[in-house]
Amino acid sequence: MTDASLQGAVLPAAKEPGDAVLDFLRLAITKEVADAVILPMKVPSGDSYAWILMNDLSLLDDAVPIAATMAVQGAKALRSLTRRGPGNLTVIAVMRPCEIRAAIELTKLGQVHPDNLILATYDCPGAVQLQKYVDDPTGCEEHFAGMQQSGKPDDSAKPVCQICEDFSLFDSDIHFGYLGLSEKEVLVIPGSSRGSELLEKLGLTPARDLEGWEKGIDQLKADRVKARESAFEETEGQLRGFDGLLSVFANCIGCHNCQSACPICYCRLCYFDSETAEQNPDALITTASKRGGISLPEDRIMFHTGRMAHMSLSCVSCGQCSDACPVSIPVAGVFSFVADRTQRTFEYVAGRNDGDPLPLRQFRKSELPGVHELVKDADAEVPSHE
Amino acid sequence: MSSITIDTSASRKVRELLQFLLESGKIDAALTMRKIPENNSYDLGLITDAANLDEAVPIIPVMTVNAGQVLSSISTSGKKIAAVLKPCELRAFVELVKREQGSFENLLTISHTCGGVFSLDLVVAEKIEELLPKYEKIISKGEVPINTRDTCRACEHFIPMNADITVSVAGECESGKGCVMYLNTDKAEEFTEGFESERGELKFDPSALQKMLDTRLAEKEKLFASMTASGPGLDRLLDTFGKCVGCHGCNSVCPICYCLLCDFESANFDYNLPYFEEHLSRRGALRLPPDTIFFHLGRLTHMSFSCVGCGMCSDVCPVGIPVAAVFKKTGEKTAALFDYVPGRDVEESIPVMVYKEEELSDLG
Amino acid sequence: MKKEFTPRITSFLCKWCTYTGADLAGTARLQYPVSIIPIQVMCSSRVDPVFLIKAFLSGSDGVLIGGCHPGDCHYETGNYHARRRFAIVKSVFESLGLESDRLKLSWISASEGPKFARVANEYTEEIMKLGENPTRKSIFL
Repeated sequence: MTDASLQGAVLPAAKEPGDAVLDFLRLAITKEVADAVILPMKVPSGDSYAWILMNDLSLLDDAVPIAATMAVQGAKALRSLTRRGPGNLTVIAVMRPCEIRAAIELTKLGQVHPDNLILATYDCPGAVQLQKYVDDPTGCEEHFAGMQQSGKPDDSAKPVCQICEDFSLFDSDIHFGYLGLSEKEVLVIPGSSRGSELLEKLGLTPARDLEGWEKGIDQLKADRVKARESAFEETEGQLRGFDGLLSVFANCIGCHNCQSACPICYCRLCYFDSETAEQNPDALITTASKRGGISLPEDRIMFHTGRMAHMSLSCVSCGQCSDACPVSIPVAGVFSFVADRTQRTFEYVAGRNDGDPLPLRQFRKSELPGVHELVKDADAEVPSHE
Repeated sequence: MSSITIDTSASRKVRELLQFLLESGKIDAALTMRKIPENNSYDLGLITDAANLDEAVPIIPVMTVNAGQVLSSISTSGKKIAAVLKPCELRAFVELVKREQGSFENLLTISHTCGGVFSLDLVVAEKIEELLPKYEKIISKGEVPINTRDTCRACEHFIPMNADITVSVAGECESGKGCVMYLNTDKAEEFTEGFESERGELKFDPSALQKMLDTRLAEKEKLFASMTASGPGLDRLLDTFGKCVGCHGCNSVCPICYCLLCDFESANFDYNLPYFEEHLSRRGALRLPPDTIFFHLGRLTHMSFSCVGCGMCSDVCPVGIPVAAVFKKTGEKTAALFDYVPGRDVEESIPVMVYKEEELSDLG
Repeated sequence: MKKEFTPRITSFLCKWCTYTGADLAGTARLQYPVSIIPIQVMCSSRVDPVFLIKAFLSGSDGVLIGGCHPGDCHYETGNYHARRRFAIVKSVFESLGLESDRLKLSWISASEGPKFARVANEYTEEIMKLGENPTRKSIFL
């Protein structure tokens, strides 16, 4: 997971890990190594969070760096800030690993310009489902506190969080590690040269060995990998055959909330909302006549499978689609499963900041042996191709 | 104009009518709610083969999508279509026709007095069949059922406007006996010619539904009052819309919001970094993405006068904002400025397309 | 010492009348407050409701539309449409309990320099009474 030479600086946490993160950010603003930070704050009604870009130190007191739920995917906040270019502000964004991974994908898609962003992540125990949080904020905060203690997502968490392997240090500039550490302390781990520079400027020395923390993380990871395998197996069973697909999406009302909540789907006007995709009325009736009848709005299965084809290579399994679905379709479970397959086909991992371009932006003359067989035999293993 | 007495359940009678229309070739397709074969839920079907009508449940208190919105994309096909619509769906369609998003030309509209629809949550939980008998009993007495959408309980336009055929469901009959189909137009007479049924000369009598109207008006007052209960305007606005996640689901299921690309999703609302810098220096902080609240205020000014109060927006909101109630309340005010009632008359222009020289003289 | 409050009034002024009227006020050396921030538009009907809302939410203490008198529109009917749209925004503000007095529509012709100065003074005073727009400080908008 990490490079053996990697070490972390130690920050004390007054009460909870978020306190150490806030101290770190206060220091960064006071020492003028950052102009502003992006953090979640409770909305006035108290039953959700919003992303706030701030440079006022007094506001930091009310911010909650490690929020219980994910109302808006953080990558969308970063996109709105830098879509038109990087600008001159140095901004530290503290977000969940899946949010930073989405931001990295959006960078590859030209929708985020991270030149002056410092992307910070933390050990994520999982995020509470949004609807549950809105219904019972206090109860859900308790759930989340428990999750932070144990490092394990409970029933209140999104189903995709329960099967997430990439909940800790991945590809960010700074990572705050705390899961599994017994003392009230947080490890600040630089993940890039930019991160190391920042730590140096703040006078923090990464001297602590990471071994103990890593061991804890690996244990938690093992649990989730296991859960992931069985969840995928179940999803695969549900999706088997066209009837399976139909029944999973049977209740879809075509609102496209899943798409608009998705951090990767950045198109202003989705192809499936465009005039090109709109069937002309005659054709629609003709289609209906051929089958004796159709369900409306039309092309809902087309929309979902089309979206899988368009964006699953960049899907980070953040689960926002499921949270936004008004008819409780397990969109995220399906997309996560499909994304796992499509990404493995190209040995691609969404959210990796390693200079690897998007799979569809490149090709090799000889690759994907066995793709033809794959078509012939739906049960075939996805080929690995060294 | 004549009437048809219904000896069976109203929904079944409408299904029989659709069957007749399809079999006799008077229509090419029927738009109706139906049971989803995959589960115990419902969807909107466009049915061309009478044999496929078995699953149809034309009158069911479920709205998965505003059928007026769907109809807009099929009504210009040149094919004859009979559409079973709830009163607010029909009104939404009228608003769309005014915006050149549909046509009545080849359309036979069938609507019914409406007891309100169940919230989507109950549909997803497959609770409808269980709740239906009680619901029917309540509306037959002219009362207002609970667990329907808040804007349904507060809706006074539950009697269809402009329908070719009106089926009375609420107030006078219980499913199974005594419902009536009123033929309101020549088109209705023409289409139903040859449909085997017991004809009469009954006239639709809205006074039978006075109790329902009174209850709903009282409900409406209660709903509107609850929205003004706390604090000054800006705080209240932030309390209500502060948790919006910006998915714009309310906009995409809104039958009135027909724009392919909403202004608020356009490049007009992308900002250069200096914009954020300026806000940072003035306020010390700024919400990201920006314009979350702005979107709702903008939409209120752009379409609220045409809001039919169907309640789709509230039902799809992932964070439970009472969008529909706010839009209904505000929409009544903006429409009243111009004595406008959305969906009342297809010949009536939408308020922002016309003007009167002598009006609003207190402004300017 | 408390800094004296200088309101900011974002003013959308029609090129053919009010904007010219404002010019006239200037050349006639009529005093009007610095609070007026003029933005020239080709017609009062160019002002989409969202312009007013954006100005309001961005912290303008007042928002003014200046157009030609009814019947005098350079494009014949633009100001009638502007009036309807303005009425809608005002009504939306009222039903949400927002301060609709922060929005104003005024007909001022190209020759009415004195009227422009008067409206500018009176409206500024009115806004002074209302005080700073609370949207200036809100971070959740």
